[in-house]
This record gives sequence, C-alpha cells and structure tokens, in this order.
Amino acid sequence: MASTLWLLWRLFWQLLGPITTFAFLVVVVIVASLAYSHNATIPRVRRKNQPVHLLLVLGSGGHTAEMFSMMKNIPLDPTHYTYRTYVVSSGDDFSAKKAKEFESGFLKKGESDYAIVTIPRARRVHQSYWTTPLSTFQCLWACFDVLLGRYPGQVRLPMNYLSPQPDLIITNGPAVGFCIVLAAKMIRFYESVSRWMCGSSSTQAVSRLRTIFVESWARVNGLSTTGVLLLPLADVFLVQWRSLAGRRAWPGMKQTQYAGAAVLPNPEGKEHIKGVQS
Amino acid sequence: MKTCLVTVGATASFVKLVRQVLSEPFLACLKQQNYTHLLVQYGKDGKPIMDEFLANNPDGSTALHGIGIGGFDFKPNLDSSIHLAMADEAKNQEQGLMITHAGTGSILEGLRAQLPLIVVPNSDLADNHQEQLAIELDRTNYAVNSLVEDLVSAVAKAESMRHQRPGMNGAHENTQENEIQVSRAMADQLATLD
Repeated sequence: MASTLWLLWRLFWQLLGPITTFAFLVVVVIVASLAYSHNATIPRVRRKNQPVHLLLVLGSGGHTAEMFSMMKNIPLDPTHYTYRTYVVSSGDDFSAKKAKEFESGFLKKGESDYAIVTIPRARRVHQSYWTTPLSTFQCLWACFDVLLGRYPGQVRLPMNYLSPQPDLIITNGPAVGFCIVLAAKMIRFYESVSRWMCGSSSTQAVSRLRTIFVESWARVNGLSTTGVLLLPLADVFLVQWRSLAGRRAWPGMKQTQYAGAAVLPNPEGKEHIKGVQS
Repeated sequence: MKTCLVTVGATASFVKLVRQVLSEPFLACLKQQNYTHLLVQYGKDGKPIMDEFLANNPDGSTALHGIGIGGFDFKPNLDSSIHLAMADEAKNQEQGLMITHAGTGSILEGLRAQLPLIVVPNSDLADNHQEQLAIELDRTNYAVNSLVEDLVSAVAKAESMRHQRPGMNGAHENTQENEIQVSRAMADQLATLD
C-alpha cells in the first residue's frame, strides 16, 4: 500500500513539469494568436460584385430591438448584404418574429434571401450552475455547425457564394453572441494553421467570419459581461458612449471604438412607422 | 383625442407603475393636461389590478375624470398602440405621451415615433443598469427620468418639453481618434477592392 502511494507521489512530481510547460505553451499560443489576429491587416481581395453573407445574432427583447434599430439607421442595403442569417435562441419567438418583420417590412425581401436559425440556449433562466458548462458546450457546438452551414434546417446558399461561411458577423450582447464569436475565431485559427502547414499561406484568401461586437446602448458606465469576454476576441468592438471608448483586453490589443448612439433613431424614422401603419 | 401610453415590458412585472397610473391624482393630472385616453400595457401580474380598477370605476364615475381607459397584457409589436399617441390630423389625434419602464426596446420605439417620453426605472430589479441609461437620457433631454411616486410632476415636465429638440451632443458625428461609424466598420471588415 505504502509503495503504491509512493509510486503515485513520484509520478505526480514527474508529470508536473511537462504538464505545466504544456499549459504554459498553450496559453502563449492563444495570447500570441489573439494579438496577431488583432493587429493583422485584412487582405483587400474581395471583388466588388461578390455577394455578401451577413450573420446577425439576436437575443431577448432589448438586444433584438437595438439590433434592428441599428440596422434601420445604417440603413442595411440588401443589394450589398445579399444574404442574411439570423441566429435566435430556442424559445425566443419574439426575435424570430422581429426578424421576419424586418425582412418583409423594411428590406422588402422574400424568404429565399434570409434564414432564421434556432439554436439551443447557452443557459436557460434559473438553470442550475452545475449543468451550465454542458449546455454552453452544446450551444458552442451548434454555433460551429451554423457557421459551417450544416446546422439542421439550414439550406444551401446559391452557387455564387463560394463558401457556406458568413462573411461578417454582428452581435450586440446576448450570451449566444459570445459562443458565435468564439466559434468563428476557432474556425479561423484552424484554417490559418492548416493553410500554413500546407505551405499555401502566401495565397491571400478572402477573409470571412469577421466579427463586430456592438455594446448595448443601455451600458453607460461599464461593459457587460459578454463585452468583457469579447474584448480580446471580436475584430471590432464598438461602444455607444464616449466614456467606454479606448478600453482593451491587454496592452497591444485593439481598443474599443466609439460609434455614436448607433441605435438612436434618425429623424426620418417617423416616416417608417407611418408606412407600416397605412 | 390625446392619448397617454404606458408600457411595463414583458419580462418582469411592474405592479407599482400600473397602480400609480390608475390612481386618482394621476388621472386628475392627465385631465388637466387635456388627455382623453389612457392605454396601459400592464404586463405580467398587471391584469388583476386593471380588472379590479375597471370594476370599481365603471364608465362615467368621477374617479376617471372623463378619461377613457384601456389595457392589454403584451403585444410583440407596439406600433399600433404607439400610433394612437402620435399626432394625426386625419383621425383628429393630438400628440400624446409615452410612459415606459426603462426597457431599451420601448424607449427606442418611443424615440422613433418622436413622442415625449417619461422613463420609470424599475427599482425592484437587481441588475439595474437601466437606471444609468434613464439618468443619461434625462440629462440630454431625450426623456424625463422619474420615480413611480413623482409621475405627476414628470408629466408636467414632459408637457413643457414637448417642443424642445433633444441634443445628444453630436451623437452621429465621428471625428476623433477611436471613433468610427457602424456602417464604416462593416465595410472595413469586408475589405472590398475599390
């Protein structure tokens, strides 16, 4: 008995070195690749008439309302952003309804130009903290499938889209947005490593899965939890209050940028409500 | 016709606000400001209060001050209700007022319709960043921030501000470093050839 314990004790000390070294290396690789990704310039190779696939992450009343208010302000041009995917959490019929309203009422587009994808929640309200990692993993898994265009219910994009991956991802706060951005970053990491391994890193590919995070307008004095988590991950981090601009995950990383009150309706917005009414 | 629209949102109940807008002093205040109708989205747990009030005060009772009162629990789209509070000469409607819990969605809808706005943050909720937003909106004249108890004076204030243009000191201008518009950021990320 004593000798077995002694053996385990020896084994523990022998493995401690390699394990800590490995963990340290993993952290270094993650930090270095995040810093590299934040500071790399995007290769300007996208042709002008190429169709663009935009993915918007929706989640619960306020976030969804902000997202569509912002899209109406821009205003989103459906001839440029030719295909839209809306990611909705299961049980959130409100957001799905708002997405349909936005498509048919504002963009005036048919159902073949967009898709609404419903994925499992990262954490349900009142869910036990013990099972949260499991459901978050399930949500992350679904995000991978959505980004690769193989989630159940997703239809194939028309032939002129060269990849099932969305070109641009915009999210503004729900927890699902974190899963989507994390999945996008991991896919991009995998692809750039495999390109590098194949020795084809010199050919510049059109960059896809670019991510934009817009912090909620309701956050005046501090970033949200999702926002803090996404600081080193999102390619662009926009805030709607000046006091939140200039923050970053650590020195050398990109700073948050002030975008004005992006959700605030323009004066022309009034005409739109009238249009819906009549 | 001049309508005051009250919304409490869908997720949390805000019984205090519903009680307040159905109180005698508040209705007297609406009457004084020439309102004819009060429409309440009472949300979760608001229905019994509404039903009790309407049962105790049938049409024509003095407590109503001649104001027509209606209510519903929740609608995913508030456009039709908001339209009742908007100015419309064809329907003989005067511009009314919107009172909302400080939910972002309803605030944006009110601002989009250019209605005078009173925001009443729900102080019973634990995570209250909505209060920060309400304070900031009040400071920039986009809305009047009010406690449930001070609603009567808030209505008077909102009435006096009706024709004032709010200014969010250059909300849509981006000139300095660290500033960029959303549409610009989107185009940058796509990196399309010129």
